[in-house]
Amino acid sequence: MTINYKKELETAAKSMILVHEPDVLIKMIARTIVHRIKVSHAAILLHEKDRSTYVLDISKGKVGVKIPAGFARMDTDNPLIQFFLDARSRKIFNGGPFLLDKAEEILHSNSDDAAKELLKGAAHQMGIYESVVCVPSYFRDELLALLLLGKKSDGAVFGQDELDFFMALASDVAMAIRNAQLFRELENELDKKKRLFFNTTVALAAAIEAKDHYTHGHTNRVTSLGLEIARKMAHQNKTYADAVFMENLHVACLLHDIGKIGVPESILNKTEPLTQDEWVKIKEHPVIGVNILQSIKELEEVILGVKYHHERYDGSGYPEGLKGEQIPMIASIIAVADAFDAMTTNRVYRAAKSREVAINEIQQLSGRQFHPLIAEVFITLCQEGRV
Amino acid sequence: MAKLMIVDDEADVREFAASFFRKRKIEVEVAGSGEEALSVFERNRPDLILLDIKMSGMDGIETLEAIRKKDSQVKVIMVTGKKPEEDEACKRCEELGVKGYVHKPLELDELERIVLKELNP
Repeated sequence: MTINYKKELETAAKSMILVHEPDVLIKMIARTIVHRIKVSHAAILLHEKDRSTYVLDISKGKVGVKIPAGFARMDTDNPLIQFFLDARSRKIFNGGPFLLDKAEEILHSNSDDAAKELLKGAAHQMGIYESVVCVPSYFRDELLALLLLGKKSDGAVFGQDELDFFMALASDVAMAIRNAQLFRELENELDKKKRLFFNTTVALAAAIEAKDHYTHGHTNRVTSLGLEIARKMAHQNKTYADAVFMENLHVACLLHDIGKIGVPESILNKTEPLTQDEWVKIKEHPVIGVNILQSIKELEEVILGVKYHHERYDGSGYPEGLKGEQIPMIASIIAVADAFDAMTTNRVYRAAKSREVAINEIQQLSGRQFHPLIAEVFITLCQEGRV
Repeated sequence: MAKLMIVDDEADVREFAASFFRKRKIEVEVAGSGEEALSVFERNRPDLILLDIKMSGMDGIETLEAIRKKDSQVKVIMVTGKKPEEDEACKRCEELGVKGYVHKPLELDELERIVLKELNP
């Protein structure tokens, strides 16, 4: 049976577009080679950059050697690797696959090739892996993988069309590996940026607590309670809470009181009852928070949480007196978490209420101060002992 | 013919290593656990043991200790993953006396060389 290599290559290329995991892809390629080309066995070694070594990723065969994945490696000083890293020696095979029979021909000839030593070492490696062809996989000048092939099952010699096919496959493999690497690097970069952002947010939150001594730990408690409520709501299908919403809520909880930075410490830490004017100042903190954050376009939804977390469901809150569903969900969630934590901790002007009293109060104020849906979820969480 | 015993709890490793050395004209016995290694050892004393350090159940160190009680001389090469958590175990191997180590993933020609050297000194 003759194989239409062009067609095989097209099929392989198509799969490569669909498969983004190089591991899966490499397994597919090894399988294709063993089954379609009828090679006794195939092994693929992949470059591990940080260890400067090539590790056996897969070894497949019906009759030939089967080396367990991760069992074997070739370091960069391995002659076969050296052979492919060296531009001069590569020329022996015109940049194509290493062919054991050709190598032996050269070794037995009287030619005075400078690369003979390396060729000999490489041929020995081929012997160890019981391979007759070794196909390099390059991305630009970087050797990313080696494909080692055993004999053809029918004993025939590999034809040029087959060797070309392997080279084309190998270059596709290189592309796929490189793409996956780039993708991973990008993801890592993104992760790093995200962590930087979150940690900056946490630092900002710490700045608030440094000013307002009596609210120590408040931000963290509001954050965990707020996130718990949102998760529960999503679980009960009462609202959407995709990853973006959860992230925004997280940041909004951390920053909900950021505006207190603009309120004098003498007011924040005052032990006597506040005067009318002082209350006006305190009530400015959501809007001051907005002013602090508004230049950050990406925080649009976060800002809504900061701005409206003191609004009340019946419209009696501040700063705008929004009512019911006019209040963004993110703000309504923070409102419940914020109020519960405020009630159950000692404040400058009053002692803490017990947990039961606070829960009862939130239930009483459902539909007045608090969004009824969120109050209900909060109560459920309390009953489940998760608050 | 020189006798080699391969002790590893992974079947495909045993299978590959056994065929690798049989092709090199070495008589090979395999064992899939420490217990099995001991009974193979009793039955057919090998000249060299290739012993995986990390096995479920009786691990490489325990196996080595048990073998040393029967025979203080037999040559042993440990197969390790070269992980820091194995350092302590390697120290114990030194006390018990081993010929050397090979680290997974390993260079096959290095494995060949080290085993052949011990079997044909």
